[in-house]
Amino acid sequence: MSASSEANVRSLPLQDRHARAGARFGAFGEWNVPLYYTSILEEHKAVRTRAGIFDISHMGEFFFRGSGAAKFLNNLLPRDIESQKPGRALYMPLLREDGTIVDDIIVYRYSADEFLMILNAGNIEKDYNWIKRWVPADVEFRNASDELGLLALQGPATEEIAARIFPEIDLKSVAYYGFLKWNNGMIARTGYTGERGFEIMAPHKDLVAVWDNILDVGAGPCARPTNDAGAHRGAPLHCVPVGFGARDTLRLEAGMPLYGHDMNDEITPLELGIEWAIDLQKKSFIGHDALLKQKQSGITKKLIGFEMLDRGIPRQGQEIQKSGKKIGEVTSGSFAPTLEKNIGLGYVASENSEIGSEIEIMIREKSLKSRVVELPFYRRSK
Amino acid sequence: MNFPKELRYTKSHEWARKEGNKVTVGITDYAQKEISDVVFVELPKLQQSAQQGKTVAVVESVKAAFDIYAPVTGKVAKTNTQLESDPALVNQDCYGRGWFYEIEMLNAAEWDSLMTAEQYEKNLKQEIK
Repeated sequence: MSASSEANVRSLPLQDRHARAGARFGAFGEWNVPLYYTSILEEHKAVRTRAGIFDISHMGEFFFRGSGAAKFLNNLLPRDIESQKPGRALYMPLLREDGTIVDDIIVYRYSADEFLMILNAGNIEKDYNWIKRWVPADVEFRNASDELGLLALQGPATEEIAARIFPEIDLKSVAYYGFLKWNNGMIARTGYTGERGFEIMAPHKDLVAVWDNILDVGAGPCARPTNDAGAHRGAPLHCVPVGFGARDTLRLEAGMPLYGHDMNDEITPLELGIEWAIDLQKKSFIGHDALLKQKQSGITKKLIGFEMLDRGIPRQGQEIQKSGKKIGEVTSGSFAPTLEKNIGLGYVASENSEIGSEIEIMIREKSLKSRVVELPFYRRSK
Repeated sequence: MNFPKELRYTKSHEWARKEGNKVTVGITDYAQKEISDVVFVELPKLQQSAQQGKTVAVVESVKAAFDIYAPVTGKVAKTNTQLESDPALVNQDCYGRGWFYEIEMLNAAEWDSLMTAEQYEKNLKQEIK
């Protein structure tokens, strides 16, 4: 239970804001990040019922510019980039020839010849080196990760807060996975919590003002109801800063996989269950042939969601069994604050992945009953 | 942080309260703050034997699991089953309704090996330096 300090630790651009807000810090890869400010449970609840603001500036940003950019990315990536419209974002895996996942990314089309890619912090160097070897002469490829920061504003009261922070921008016109350029950055309707919300990218120097404004406005009263039942009208918005602890419980409830846990260099998108994020109809992309072959022959393991029937919290690395025999391993697990259940993700042999089938999780040498359930665990009411 | 004078303490952040040969055990104010939101408690079985310094219970936060060690050797006589349905009691009232279990102490001399509140606070200051 003791905090350790290491030499090569990187701080977020808003480090002093987090410290001032009373953050408890911890390691996330090479980054020193706020784990929570008040309590993971409180912050989780704030995002599900009101609004929360996250500093996710550790994430990486690459730019692709030039007349050959669209064609290049269409060959590199598993979705249809050439018909992607400016102002639209697409989630997908970045793949190797054998179909394994280098990273999971979002690609934003700025214009005919310009694209942004947002990627996982822990993979910046790996992704850069992987992509660089394929980049042709007519594409300018740039890593802007050290210049740009990212904030995520998430929760049902998000619309109202964003409308007041950015009065000059028509955010209503931005659809899910749409974005608008803004002030050397952009604002996208994306997120990693299962709630509605925005992600705001800006140069580090502009980020502090956005953070402060959101918390200022978020401390004020709510003018409009945040749902049809009229909830929260007139009540304080109570937008709070949210740490990486609640970010993890929120994304897990929403059934969103995390790189380095639920996927890695040895997993394919078919095993991960994100076939919707690859387009096998495309003639070719890196990994296309391997995945087509895997689809035809069938996958041998598959990511499942499960909920505990016995008392116990599943954790990464624990064994998954069926009738006392090992069938796989837990990759993420936690108490789910909104569901008030203990849930997890893990890989099992495909024949054991059927929804409703009973499995066991080995927790501290005890075999505890669990059941395969449909993903996501949590879906917000529309 | 609050460390009641009438209790004894361990380096691993348990507190102990003695009545006759019965010793009630919980975790300290420092421990509950460090662990943060307690969402799960695994209690020992009744009549299970407990050995000084060995794991007898587990407490879990949203993020991680922590072992709870026995401050003295003996048999588990009672457990606070309320923690199973309301683990947040550990955060709300760590020296009261957040107690974990009671041990019937076998060797009274072990009690004297535990730290006083003053010794615990001193030890804690060095640990978190």
